[in-house]
Amino acid sequence: MAIIEVVNVDKIYNDSEVKVTALSNINLTIEKGEFTAIVGPSGSGKTTLLNLLGGLDSPTNGKIRVGDVWLNELKGSKLIDFRLRNIGFVFQSYNLIPVLTAGENVELIMQLQGVSARVRKQVAADMLVKVGLADRFASRPAKLSGGQQQRVAVARALASKPQFILADEPTANLDGKSAENLLQIMEHLNRNEGVTFIFSTHDQRVMNRARRVILLEDGRIKSDTLQ
Amino acid sequence: MVVAVALGLWGGVTTMALINGWVKQRIADSIQNEISHIQIHNPEFLLNEEVDKTFNFDSVAQALSSADGIVGLSGRLKVFAMAQTDRANSGLVVLGVKPNSERSVSGIPNKLIMGSFLEGDFKTPSIVLGKKAAEELKLVNYELTDSIAQKLSAMELRLGEQIQPLVGRRIRTRSSFMNALRAELEPALFNHYSETLADSCASFRLNGPVVLTFQTPAGELHSAMFRVRGIYRTSNTAFDARMAYVNFENLALAANINPNYVHEVALLCKDNTSVVSIAQTLSTTYQNLKVRRWDEISPEIALYAAFGDFMGLIYIVIILFALAFGIINTMMMNVLERYREFGMLMAIGMNRLRVYSMIMMESVFLTLTGGVVGIVFSIVFIKIFAQTGFDFSMWAEGFEAIGYSSVVYPDITLANYVLVTILVTATGVLASLWPARRALKLNPMQALRVE
Repeated sequence: MAIIEVVNVDKIYNDSEVKVTALSNINLTIEKGEFTAIVGPSGSGKTTLLNLLGGLDSPTNGKIRVGDVWLNELKGSKLIDFRLRNIGFVFQSYNLIPVLTAGENVELIMQLQGVSARVRKQVAADMLVKVGLADRFASRPAKLSGGQQQRVAVARALASKPQFILADEPTANLDGKSAENLLQIMEHLNRNEGVTFIFSTHDQRVMNRARRVILLEDGRIKSDTLQ
Repeated sequence: MVVAVALGLWGGVTTMALINGWVKQRIADSIQNEISHIQIHNPEFLLNEEVDKTFNFDSVAQALSSADGIVGLSGRLKVFAMAQTDRANSGLVVLGVKPNSERSVSGIPNKLIMGSFLEGDFKTPSIVLGKKAAEELKLVNYELTDSIAQKLSAMELRLGEQIQPLVGRRIRTRSSFMNALRAELEPALFNHYSETLADSCASFRLNGPVVLTFQTPAGELHSAMFRVRGIYRTSNTAFDARMAYVNFENLALAANINPNYVHEVALLCKDNTSVVSIAQTLSTTYQNLKVRRWDEISPEIALYAAFGDFMGLIYIVIILFALAFGIINTMMMNVLERYREFGMLMAIGMNRLRVYSMIMMESVFLTLTGGVVGIVFSIVFIKIFAQTGFDFSMWAEGFEAIGYSSVVYPDITLANYVLVTILVTATGVLASLWPARRALKLNPMQALRVE
């Protein structure tokens, strides 16, 4: 069974008197272990679709299933708790907490899950090893480069043991070398550990590495190709 | 925020300590210098304070001097007199006292700024006046002595030179002294130094004559001459303007009152707490006399204590109000600056209750940190000023006009510390509710877009 199923989803924003259709009649499934890029020009609905998949927003019409749960059936704290345990997020601007070290940033999500301190520390260290930052456990974000911060964000997303990771333009703020390095790490995690990644991106390098590319235009799926 | 809380707490505690100190000092000064702990009168004397309403001192003296808890006892005559000098006159309340007995109940003998307290054997009876009364009776001379002139020369040579013609001259009024200064000094020096010079050159005319006119028990007016042998000064200008002390025997003789009789017996107790029980015992024992405690003699002084607490609370509420706005502002800025962070936390799975709790906990910890700093700072501050006193002598005239000392020794109890700490902490927490509620309302999706 696919880990994500999107059925007839529309998303319409009613901004005062103007109706904006951000997504229209979206149907798609994503299998476990995919490395999928959602691409398209600005305003095509990439981020909106990612927000819907992550349960940060709800569709106007249609429904979305993650694992065996239909997101429209979850409300309030149940939805938040579902996100905590099932979905990993990587943001364009890293969004690490500046007063916490890299290790503590990774531990944070496990702390929210109620994992014991001892286990948290061990898992955070393991995750930082996976993203090549074993020696930066005690460094604060300000001491890390943009690429390193984004790798910490990936480690944080991984630490929650999610069903999949949503990454919104993860390389947009990175230089070429850092972006390449980050992509290698994510591809490695995908191939060797079966971590499912779904990106929204403009970045050609991400599109080149993705094994499936979903092209959105004007809120509709224009193409869905396997590479 | 830590600084705001620390300053708020320090301000609150210090204000309370100052008000406490003022009130305690006022009560202590009143008891020590003005009214003592307990006074006993012929009940009829209290109606119109007529000079013939006395009672036999011997009938109470022995029992009182051996009573438990009483440490001082003074029998007094009290007459209302018109005092005249060669230059002015003024109404006075004249107390006839025995110096040694009076020392056991009153601090006035220790408040002398000149002369002595009714000691010595003089042909003309002695009178001790308050500084303000002496000024009103114009018992002041202005004399520029050599030593003052030398000090002024050292301070400013031109001033020293210009005032030379005035050295050694004794001038009787302040206005004449000022005129003399104006004549000798150039305008700039006069404007700068005249007031200070007048104050430092003023000296009271000890041994100056004062004629007291008062009523005798027979209803006749009688005048007697006294000479000023001492000037006292308390922190209560009104008291200093009103109360004069003469020897008991001299007043008894002049007013034709039996020297075994008194108008008033003043008692000083071991401590304030024993006053009520001693007064009750005395009331029972001397049913034909009126026994009154200090808070009955001067209810306004007793009111100060309650009023002081109330004023302290009002000041603290004002400080806390300002503090609350400071905290709301700081926490609101904190929330707005961290909007993205909260958005991220909510996106990855921190529920609203945890976000709310986190902001509240931060606020509590910041408040407590500020609280500890403020308390430590307050303790040190109050300890230092409890020794040295907090000097408001710049406004001494105003303070003393209403009976307060211009040097305040802050005083605070553990209960005050606890109260202020609880109030400040509660303010910190309450003031954070609104910013925390604001954070609760954020939409993680929108918050993540905030630059």
